Amino acid sequence: MKNFKLAEPKTLSQASALLAGGNGRAALLAGGTDLLGEIKEGIRLPETVVDLMTISGLSFIRQDPAGLRLGALTAVAELAEDAAVGRLFPGLSQAARSVASPQLRRMGTLGGNLCQRPRCWYYRTAETVCRKKGGSKCFASNGRNRYHAVLGSGLCHIVYPSDLAPMLMALQARLTLFSAQGERTIPLAEFYALPSVNIQRENMLGQDEILKEVVVPLPGPGAKSAYLKFKERGAWDFALVSAAAAGTFSGRSASSLHIVMGGLAPVPWRMREAEEALRGKKLNEDLVRRAAKASLQEAKPLEENAYKVELAEVILSRAVMSLG
Amino acid sequence: MRDLDTGDSLTYKEQGQPLPGAKPAASVQAPAGTFKYIGGYLPRVDGERVVTGAAEYTQDLQLEGMLFAKILRSPHACAEIVALDLSPALALDGVKAAVRLKEGRLNYLGEPVAAVAAQDEATAEEALDLIKVEYKELPFVVSEDASQAEGAPQVLPDGPNVQKLNELTRGDVDKGFREADLLLERTYRTSWEVHQPAETHASLALWEGDSLTVWDSTQAVHSVRDGLARALKMPAAKVRVIKKYMGGGFGSKLGLNDHTLAAALLAHQARRPVKVVLSRKENSYCVGFRPSNRITIKAGVKKDGTLTAVHFKNLTCGGLGRGDDCADPLVDLYRCPNLKVEEYSVFAHTCSNRPTRAPGHTQGTFALEGFLEELAAELGMDPLELRLRNYTTKNQGDTGTPYSTKGLEQCYRLGSEKIGWQRRNKKPGQAAGRTKRGLGMASQIWPGAGVPGTLADLYVYPDGSVEVQCGTQDIGCGTRTFMAAIAAETLGLEPKDIIIKIGDSDYPWAPSSGGSLTAPSVGPAVRDAALKAVEQLKQLAAKKLNIPAGQITAAEKKFSNSQNPAQALSFAEAAHELRRETVFHGERALWAPGFDYQTFGAQFAEVEVDTETGRIRVLRVVAAHDIGRVLNRQTAESQVLGGVLQGLSAALFEQKTMDTSLGRMVNANLHDYKVATIEDCPEIIPLFADVVDERLNNLGNKGLGEPPRIPSSAVIANAVFNAIGVHVGEIPMTPDKVLQALKRREGRS
Amino acid sequence: MENSSIKKKRKKTVTRRAFIKGMGGGAIGATLAAGLLGRDGLTPGGQNVEPAVFEAKPITLTVNGKTVRLEVEPRETLLHVLRERLRLPGTKRTCDRGECGACTVLLDGKPVYSCMTLAARADRRQVRTIEGLAAGGNLHPLQQAFIDKDAYQCGFCTPGFIMAGAALLEANPSPSGDQIKAALSGNICRCGNYQKIHEAVAAASERMRSGLK
Repeated sequence: MKNFKLAEPKTLSQASALLAGGNGRAALLAGGTDLLGEIKEGIRLPETVVDLMTISGLSFIRQDPAGLRLGALTAVAELAEDAAVGRLFPGLSQAARSVASPQLRRMGTLGGNLCQRPRCWYYRTAETVCRKKGGSKCFASNGRNRYHAVLGSGLCHIVYPSDLAPMLMALQARLTLFSAQGERTIPLAEFYALPSVNIQRENMLGQDEILKEVVVPLPGPGAKSAYLKFKERGAWDFALVSAAAAGTFSGRSASSLHIVMGGLAPVPWRMREAEEALRGKKLNEDLVRRAAKASLQEAKPLEENAYKVELAEVILSRAVMSLG
Repeated sequence: MRDLDTGDSLTYKEQGQPLPGAKPAASVQAPAGTFKYIGGYLPRVDGERVVTGAAEYTQDLQLEGMLFAKILRSPHACAEIVALDLSPALALDGVKAAVRLKEGRLNYLGEPVAAVAAQDEATAEEALDLIKVEYKELPFVVSEDASQAEGAPQVLPDGPNVQKLNELTRGDVDKGFREADLLLERTYRTSWEVHQPAETHASLALWEGDSLTVWDSTQAVHSVRDGLARALKMPAAKVRVIKKYMGGGFGSKLGLNDHTLAAALLAHQARRPVKVVLSRKENSYCVGFRPSNRITIKAGVKKDGTLTAVHFKNLTCGGLGRGDDCADPLVDLYRCPNLKVEEYSVFAHTCSNRPTRAPGHTQGTFALEGFLEELAAELGMDPLELRLRNYTTKNQGDTGTPYSTKGLEQCYRLGSEKIGWQRRNKKPGQAAGRTKRGLGMASQIWPGAGVPGTLADLYVYPDGSVEVQCGTQDIGCGTRTFMAAIAAETLGLEPKDIIIKIGDSDYPWAPSSGGSLTAPSVGPAVRDAALKAVEQLKQLAAKKLNIPAGQITAAEKKFSNSQNPAQALSFAEAAHELRRETVFHGERALWAPGFDYQTFGAQFAEVEVDTETGRIRVLRVVAAHDIGRVLNRQTAESQVLGGVLQGLSAALFEQKTMDTSLGRMVNANLHDYKVATIEDCPEIIPLFADVVDERLNNLGNKGLGEPPRIPSSAVIANAVFNAIGVHVGEIPMTPDKVLQALKRREGRS
Repeated sequence: MENSSIKKKRKKTVTRRAFIKGMGGGAIGATLAAGLLGRDGLTPGGQNVEPAVFEAKPITLTVNGKTVRLEVEPRETLLHVLRERLRLPGTKRTCDRGECGACTVLLDGKPVYSCMTLAARADRRQVRTIEGLAAGGNLHPLQQAFIDKDAYQCGFCTPGFIMAGAALLEANPSPSGDQIKAALSGNICRCGNYQKIHEAVAAASERMRSGLK
């Protein structure tokens, strides 16, 4: 592993200033489970690593009228084990429990999970300098692509690997972003960027901006949520396809419904057609399957990943049906 | 043209041949009856070392002044080295030595080019970046298909990309086909699997004068010693190879590796000990893999299931290696008078394949046993009945030499009863619903007779302590424990009383720990030595007690008068009579002639398939094996569990994935190269037929390393077939493949 | 592989440099942040101290109850420090990427992958490794159960499994079968002995509970 300097800020503003002063060669370290892998592989060579764990007060799960507030440095394991999270948002508990492995959930943080880099095997190999790393091509488009995107791709075929992001998006979570200019709050739905917007990064964070907090609006009566992750092996795997669904139900019909899928696109992918087709309807399997199919019509599979479209239809349907 | 001459180019079949001058067999050697320790559930004698972290693996060793080596590897699948300059690397502070490892042409991505040794790993890594190499890139092929395409670059300098590997004819296949009531033809494919042992390959080299000692993470200390001596052009007697504990090999650690030689060369240059530890990435694409196979079987069969003819065609791709011939199970396992086997190697620009737990047999069994399952369905027959219909008692499909023992029928009975074979779908795929269950079976054959000529020395010291020396190695199978049990049993001691010294090429010769060779080679050699020792000690005790030696029994740490048990001499007292430490040479003798010796087994699996997602869940595997006498049930069961689990992992997940235009493996890590986790582990029930082979050796035991791995992918594929009514036909059976197979079935019906 | 400049000597000194010196924006940011942080109750008063930036960091580790002081480079992982510098090779390096679990140790009682943990971050924390699990010469019940059940083959992944299992039993003395599987799902056993590993954890749990009674 190439060496770097380790900065230990005590405040977010110090951390932000370190980022700003790093001219793109400073990197934030939360749980470390992602960044250290990148440094070891040599695909990222920061001059300065800014340790966020030396800033106190960023790990919390707290309820107030605005919603459930989750500190960015809250360990994924804490989310998975928290009783309030489980009661208010069963889907979020499920998503947190499905992340990686017990050790990685203990080490990894909510913020790190939302800001993690993609797992594309070309991106993760130092020797293949793809567009995301400043190169001129996407090796996956005509290469080995069974795990790659079927929606929203083009220049780059990564899938966004987070389990928490689709679920929090379906729950309409908002993010508080910190920078020297102050804090701003944006919907998680506006956080991620397609390769067509920014090929080298997956989100809209400014250079000196730091994710500070996630706020999930409290559920009203009849609110339900679920996260269904389909992976190849029994544990410790990223989603081939995952579906997060959240809505407000009366009996088997949903007055509001949000469906966001993972494993399909470079960003968590909202299934708007399905949401619209199902809203206000009494759910049955046939209806949901048709809505899912309609939602996936835009899919453009590559040579080896057409099966993902089939899987997505099934997983979406099962996630939604588990609510109704 | 292959990788470095590893000194272990012999196949397991060749290695299993008796050594010249091996001692002839006695007429009937193995005792019937039961033992006190042998065959029981024995905890490992070195368990405490392992569970406390005190067991020393090669990676763990540190010597005073030790340097760390790193290997510069070819970034191209095929290239010429135009120029190479090590001097900038040598100029880096902390770098103590650098060597060039290859001249001229490089034939795979990852092939060693040069190596450096530095005071720490990080400096060595930095130094690699400083080596100046100019490559001229050349065209390459890294897939079986590309290698066979017209205009493909020739991989080997001295021959075409497709070469004959093996052929065999028995009887007249065309005649057999004419006699058949039904003909069936199917193709089965297996993927490149990587061994991925937990401990990556590692070596530590130390020169003392002109003598070399190498600690190596190896399955074969003698073979590495001979390889080093050859490569360094020095006498084998001046090379010593040691392996204390080793973190898994599965066939990838059988001979001398380039990095081991590099460590020796660097240590010589630096005059300091040098350690090299491969990264997971290097382990993924530089030290072998299981070759791929495309096997087409066409068979003729009578209505009652009698095979009339089989034509077996295999195309195997092992990169620069010759791949695996896979016909052995077919040649022997079923009665079939007419047989034709044609096997071809396809060469490509990757490292050579290496033996991978049950090379050839695993892939051949996947095809053959899958075919029988499909054939049974075509005939409307119970797949077990089909196998019994073609059961043999002689090799070469019942045309050759009789088996000394064959417990396969017992395995069929034990296994089918345990799994509840009657619960299977009588018609594959008949179950309703979107989640379907199914049961499948697969059979197994593998030599496992050991190597006559294997040696072990047993020392008895005048204080009564006992030591066994043998140049074998424990690669996780519990070698130390069964050796201690055999010596203790024979001498009337307890296993913990025996000091076991293994894993050192200075000890008496034993074969590599691969191919299920260890237990049936080493076990009988230890038994032989211990029998000699107990004989002499009985003589001494008899003299001391003043009774005939024939009247003495050795048990409970003493030599007693069987007529008058109160009259006894302790083991230590008898040993004292030797007056000096005394060595008893043991040897694994030849087996009784006129018979063939094989292991057999049958596995039965139950699976559940989600027909909407293609996800397979393995619920239960029953594994029944005939390995002769079981030496230690405790570790034998572990072997079976591991063989089953690895087969599951290969059947569902494992696939070395190559980017054919880059010539690169894209999943060279332990996340993208998926191996099974505990959440994938089914209930596994190991059973043994317990058929002691009295003619084979003085214990009647056979090997167990390979057998449980042989049918363990096939059995899952067959259970999936029974569940969904279509054989996926290739492994790994990832969800996409299962969904495709389900579509094929829909297309058919 | 990319080129890098030759480093003749590594600096081993602690530097507390004014990293944001001369960066007006940064300074303003710090002022702005002070108010915000104050409002949120975060690190009151901390905002005026310049952040420490290390090229080498002196740390104090408590490893298996023994306190050691050493200076580490930022890139040094806890695994590296344990194996190479403290000569505790029981913790294994298998993937070096957090993909196998062989390097699992307990950090303040919780299982983590030491290959993905910077040693600098273990400063002033409690580290427990396989070497420190047996108390006073007596094997931990889980170590004994691994021997009794033959819950390993090559043994290389064993320290990681035992540490993960010991952490589970500490947090949950009576785990269900599913909980055992879940707790061990971050460890790979390539030899495939999962069934016996599972049995060993269950047996140790039983033994520990009956010992408490």
